[in-house]
Amino acid sequence: MANFYGLLVGIAMGFLIQRVRASSPVVILQNLRLENLGIIKFMATTIAVGMIAVYTLNVFVPQALHFDIKPTYLVGVLLGGLIFGVGFGLGGYCPGTCMVGIGEGRKDAWFAMGGGVVGALVFTLVYTAAIKPIVELMDYGKITVQDLVHLPAIVPALVIGTMFLVVVKVLPTQVKRA
Amino acid sequence: MSTATLPKTGMPNWASLGIIFGLVGTASIVLFGPIGVSGTYPRLIGEAARVLDPAYAASNPYLVRMGGLLRPETFLVIGLVIGGFLGATRDTVRAAKIELPHVGASSNARRYTEAFLAGFLILFGARLAGGCTSGLIISGMQQLSIAGFVFAGGVFATGIGTAKFMQAIRVGGK
Repeated sequence: MANFYGLLVGIAMGFLIQRVRASSPVVILQNLRLENLGIIKFMATTIAVGMIAVYTLNVFVPQALHFDIKPTYLVGVLLGGLIFGVGFGLGGYCPGTCMVGIGEGRKDAWFAMGGGVVGALVFTLVYTAAIKPIVELMDYGKITVQDLVHLPAIVPALVIGTMFLVVVKVLPTQVKRA
Repeated sequence: MSTATLPKTGMPNWASLGIIFGLVGTASIVLFGPIGVSGTYPRLIGEAARVLDPAYAASNPYLVRMGGLLRPETFLVIGLVIGGFLGATRDTVRAAKIELPHVGASSNARRYTEAFLAGFLILFGARLAGGCTSGLIISGMQQLSIAGFVFAGGVFATGIGTAKFMQAIRVGGK
């Protein structure tokens, strides 16, 4: 049943990503050049609504939630983000949006996915020699904002979620070009 | 540029679709777990390795830890392709087969090379960090995981830097 739910969630995500144009590399690059902030605002809205919704549910029905917090091994997470960003800025796809792009009939999305398979293969091959030492550096485990501020999770969820929503409301979508 | 898709709410697309996406991400945590995409790539490698070289597959700690493909995240990735297809049917104009996202001179061959190299980097980076846009930025930050915030900071630092750099070298001086 969980697999079927996964499929449904994926279809909904793919549809929404396509409708908001996040699977268009042109639109992603406009966002990364900070000419148009529509996708950045879309992501921030998603995160804000998601964190408020999930931690509100957590107040009432904590047993209904399947949280899975990723570990913060600081060096590897930051370095991975920096490498990911170069690829994101170069190609305008992420691992999910290229799959959406394939569904839409984009040919360059196949190349991004192919590069991704090779990237995952190389990662796997060098894991023991090169990656394991990095992910063991400064590993703080599955820490969250609520662990750091020592408050019930709903508090930072509401504060950060509201901050995000205010920022996306205030920021322009189409930025004037200098 | 982007056209309205849902019944007019007076809300811009990014806001209405963002709210729905946030609720879908929440539904995912209720139904099976947070959304995530990039782990499926090494699981595919793992399945191939178990067929081609079972001894190696069993000896690689990363492949062992990532496990097999029969799990919700794999079906989620299949769903992304279907969702993209369904979304595109609502467009009057088909998506371009190839887009040249950087301003200035380029070619299709150059675009394919860049897309391949970019795919390599996003997967390598995502696996190093333990997640991608969906698993760390969206569902990670949604769960208030510190890793999500750190990863997002890194992605946008070099993402914006690379986009601006590509513009600068192609247009020539900026």
